[in-house]
This record gives sequence, structure tokens and C-alpha cells, in this order.
Amino acid sequence: MTLVINNLKKRFDEHRAVDGITLTVGKGEIFGMLGANGAGKTTSFRMILGLIDPTEGFVTWDAERLSYKRTKLVGYLPEERGLFPKLTVKEQLIYLMRLKGMKKPDIIREIRHWLQRFQVPEYENKRIEELSKGNQQKIQFMAAVIHKPDLLILDEPFSGLDPVNADMLKEAVLDIQREGTTIVFSSHQMNNVEELCEDIIMLKHGKAVLQGNLRDIKRSYGMKTITIKADYELDFLKNIKGVLNVDKNKDGAAINVESESIAEEIFKEVANSGFVRKFEVEEPSLHDIFIDHAGGDSDE
Amino acid sequence: MNNFWTTFTHTASRRIKSKSFIFATGIMVVLIIGLLNLNSILENFTSDDDELVSSIAVVDNTDSDGEYAEMLASMEEGAFEYIHFTYGDVNDALEEAYDNNYDYVLAISGESANMEAEFFGEGTDFTVAQEVNQDVQRVKETLVTTELDLNDEELAMIFNPVTFIENSLSQNGEMQTEESHMQAYWMVYGLVFAIYLIVITFGSMIATEVATEKSSRVMELIVSSINPVTQMLGKILGIGLAGMVNLAALALAVFIGSTMSGDDFITTIFTEVIDYSLIIYALVFIILGYFVYGGIAAMLGALVSRAEEVNQAIQPLIFLAMIAFFISMFGLNAPETTFIQVLSYVPFFTPQLLFLRIGMGTVPVWEVTLIIGILIISAILINILAARIYKGGVLMYGKFSFKTGIQQALKLSKKEN
Repeated sequence: MTLVINNLKKRFDEHRAVDGITLTVGKGEIFGMLGANGAGKTTSFRMILGLIDPTEGFVTWDAERLSYKRTKLVGYLPEERGLFPKLTVKEQLIYLMRLKGMKKPDIIREIRHWLQRFQVPEYENKRIEELSKGNQQKIQFMAAVIHKPDLLILDEPFSGLDPVNADMLKEAVLDIQREGTTIVFSSHQMNNVEELCEDIIMLKHGKAVLQGNLRDIKRSYGMKTITIKADYELDFLKNIKGVLNVDKNKDGAAINVESESIAEEIFKEVANSGFVRKFEVEEPSLHDIFIDHAGGDSDE
Repeated sequence: MNNFWTTFTHTASRRIKSKSFIFATGIMVVLIIGLLNLNSILENFTSDDDELVSSIAVVDNTDSDGEYAEMLASMEEGAFEYIHFTYGDVNDALEEAYDNNYDYVLAISGESANMEAEFFGEGTDFTVAQEVNQDVQRVKETLVTTELDLNDEELAMIFNPVTFIENSLSQNGEMQTEESHMQAYWMVYGLVFAIYLIVITFGSMIATEVATEKSSRVMELIVSSINPVTQMLGKILGIGLAGMVNLAALALAVFIGSTMSGDDFITTIFTEVIDYSLIIYALVFIILGYFVYGGIAAMLGALVSRAEEVNQAIQPLIFLAMIAFFISMFGLNAPETTFIQVLSYVPFFTPQLLFLRIGMGTVPVWEVTLIIGILIISAILINILAARIYKGGVLMYGKFSFKTGIQQALKLSKKEN
């Protein structure tokens, strides 16, 4: 059971929303789809779900196109959250899960299980509009997973959550993965992607600008980050060739350099200038890679 | 199919269980039963207020030895208590009436062939005098017929009413007497109005429901599980079912109300005046009209992003229904004009105009079949087109505009490879 996307394209008139992405996600993997707003993530998800047809290319799950006949195999958490504001948690999950082919008693049992897990069992008969945003999100998440899908698509699952709830949801995602569900998710919070994903694709203007195993990408990435803790001005480092930027913080600076060889030069420079409490050369964070690739003209 | 039922039952039950639906239907039911029983309700109130039956002093100066007065006094079913006044003449009786011992005074004089009655009273109720007049008349008839010693047959000859039958001059045509024309007129008027009301009320209900699901963004989640076209049909039929439940409740109220009242007038209306074949036609047209307008309403609802924009979006649809309504108001007086005949072929106008033509005149069977056929086919075509726009529309968010909205929706739902 693998998700295969082959040369997927979607054009709206002249605008290329998705422009030829190809990828494979194996069973039980968590796959990260990154990109600035408007990079083509949601359109890709909609094509995976079969909500819109691709202009070219195809998406298959388990060697077949996903259609409404196989809708119970898929769980979806859309980027724009939405539930019936006037219905209670129970009422709407019963409706949404019956659409996935579940039986009412099973649904109720699962609802109670998940509410318990999210520590909000008292919400069963509350209307959605009475819940806080974070709690609505838990219900939204339940609407994507209660029917135990084989393929789970999470569009920005952690946005708007406080750290405690975000961790709770992250735990749930990992548990679901352990049960064998394949998960594709997108996020703007790079630390979440780093924690959860093995493979990623980074989109810009509908094209993949970076793709592959996250660890490999980071290791082979030329750019390095140097963290320096020192008591004097580090601005002068900007003048060294190969330094991309100097990001000053309260007790030093984080400096991005083109390659490891520049680090040596910087080391000499700071050593000449005075005492250094910390000097560390790290692989770049995904955050930096994201800014490097997808940044700039991110808003289309 | 399963998901169709899920959506259908979900939509219908949500609507039927909603407080506003229950209240609105309940109020209508109470109103209908109340109106049909208005008479008995009013009577209850008046008899509660003054239980005293008006008393009438009868001064009998006829040549019958007070037999008239006695006869009136012995009447039990009347609304008044007649009292034979034997303590003096009319003036004495009037004195007593001034002292409030009696409410009215009735003085009768003369002989049976030439009887005179004088009635004294005050107040605003003009029916009192009429009723007293009838009572006197009836007593006179009884006394005279007994006096003449007539047998039952002879009595029947006098009192049996004439049987009056209306017939049509043409062979198979319906008779167009003034009365039947007016009956058909009011029935068609009422039902055309009902079609209009149902189409716009439920049309906007559908559009609002779709737009609400879109604006709360739950739509994207729903259409990831169920084909939007199936969902749209489930919704249209679900709301239609709620509408039918509403209608059935009202019909039941009419039935209960008329049975409770037992009023001859109302029973006659339901057994003789109403043409039930017309009601069946009306039902057919309501259902077909509902599909034509409902499909478009769902499509328009899918084009807007916010519930507040629904009114703007369904305006053209409402106008269309209004135009159909006004044309039918004109057509009621001229059902046979070419103008009406031609327009009755246009699917948006068919429900009202063809119904009007059938109700007010005679339309050949082949024509009825043809026009209904056209209506059914266009209902299907409209729903197919609506479904395509709906499919793209539900994924679309932005400022509402008909032209770009429809274009964009068609682009999104475009079938590719």
C-alpha cells in the first residue's frame, strides 16, 4: 500500500498551481510537504483526495486512483478548519463518520475513546461553537482519524495549538503511524516536520525545489550554521566572504555560511577579537533551509 | 447510495428536529384548527360571559286566545326565553322592561291571515330581531297547518325544497357557471400562490444550507467523503422531505379542524367545492418546480462563500419565481391566450402556468404530457449543470460574482484525463 504521485500537474488557465511533482510514500511513513502559502500544497492534497482532477499525471493509492468508492480509506484534516457550529460534537462526528461507512455504535465508542484521550470527555454533547479554537481542532482531528484510515492527510495540523495540545496531537499522530497508517502532512512549523518526518518535499510555485530523506538533505546541504557566544560585537563578520547572514541575539549570534571551510576563517577572526564562550558548527535547521529555498517571494 | 441516505436523513432530520421548524409548524397547525373552529370558540366565549338568556315579554293580542304566546314560550331550542305577559297591555310590559325585568318586548296582534308583530328593544345586535321574526313565522306556520289539519304529504308539498341541478351545454366540457368559475378561480389562485411560496421558501432554504456549510468550511471535509453531486441531491431531497412533512402536518390540521367543527359550510367546501384532481396536479407541479428551482438554488448557494451573500445570489431566482407568479395573476383572467400558452412551455413558468391552464380551462392530454415531459427533462438537465458548478463551487472561496464564479467553478470541476 503505497501512495504514488507521478508527474502531477494542475493548471488553471495560465497559472500552474502544481507543476510536475513526483513522489512515493511507503506504508506507515510520515511524509512532509512544505512550501510557502500558495506553493501548491492544498491543490496537491485535493488532487490526492480526488476532489479535483489533475491536468496531467496521476495519483494512485495501492495502485488505484482514489475515488469516492474508497473514501473510507482516507482521512483528511483540511487547512481551513470547519465543522457544523450548531451541532454537538457527537452529532457531527456521527454524520461525518457515517459518510465514511461506520456504524453508529462504533462511532460513539470511538468518540468516547478519543475524547478521553484528549482529556475532554465532557465535550461529547457540547456544540462546536461553544468550544475554544484549540478544542475545536481536537474534534477536527478526530473527524480525520476515527474511522482508522489507511492514508491520513493532515494540512497544517498543529497551527493555532498551544504547546501542550500540540504535543498531545503529535503523540496521537505517532500512535496512528505505529498502527500502520501512512501520513502525509504539511506544516509551517519546521520543528514539527523535523520531529516527525523522514522524507519531505519542498514546493515553490508548484515545483519541487527540494526532495528526499530529511537527514540526507541536511547533511549534504552546503550551508552551515555557526553559533557563537561572545561578549563583543560580531557585526564585522558580515564582511567575510561566504557569510550569508549574521543573526544577532542577546548573547551572541547565529551565522549562516556557505560551506564548512568558511567556518575556519570565522573561528580565527573571533579568536583574535577576544574570549569566546561557545563556538559550534551545526547542520542547518530545516527552518533555515526553508527560508533559503522557499523564502523571498513567498506570497503569491 | 449509502452516503446519499446518510445525507438525506441527516438533512431532513436536522431540519424537522429544529426548534424553528417545530414552532412554525405548530403555530400554523394551531392557527388552522383555530380558524376552522372560530364559530364554536366565539360561542364559548359569549356564553361564558353572560349565561343569562335574553328574556322577551310577549303581549298576545291576537284572536287565538294567547295560543301564539304560549307556543313561543314553549319553544326550547331558541336563543331566547319567551314569557307570556298577561299582567296588562303593551305599555305595562314596556314599563317592566324599563325596570329591567325583561330585555325585549314583543307585541303581536291581528289574525293568522294578517298578523302584525312589533318588537321593542335596544342594543347593537341586529340579528336578534331577525331571529325573533323567524320564531314568530315558524310558530304561525305550525299553528296554521294544525288548524288546516294537513297530512304529512300536504306538509311536504309546502315545505320540501326544490332540487336545483346545474348542467353543461357542451358535451364533455365543464360547465362554466358563475359559481364553478369562481371556485376554480380561487383554488387556482391559492395553489399558484402556494407553488410560488414553496419554491422560494425552500429554494432559499437549500441555498442557505449550502452556503452555511461552505462558510463554516465543513464542506471541504464533507466532499472529501461524499461525491458533491450525491450530497447536493441528498440535500435537495432532504429539505424537500422536511417540506412535505410540513405540508402533511398542515393538511392533517385542516382535517382535524374541519372534523372538530362539524360545520356544514366547511364540510361542504371539503367534500364538494374542492377539486381533488387539481390538488394532485398541484402536488406534481410543486415537486417538479421544486427540483428545477432547488437545483439552481443549490448551485447558487455553492457559489457564495459567506451566508450573508446568499440573498444576493438567489435574487435572480426569486425574481424568476415572482415573474411567473405575476404572469399567472394575469393569466387567471385569460387562461386561453397564446401568450400564456407559449409561456407555459418554459420550464421556469410551467409549474404555475400549466397548472393555471388546467385549472381554468381544458388542456388536451397530449399537451399536458408534452409540457410535463419538457419540465422533467429540463429539471434533469438543470440539475446536471448545477451539480457540475456545485462540485467546483464548494471548493471555491472569494468574493461573489455570477460570471467569474460560474467560470471558476466549472474550471475546478473540469473532468480531466
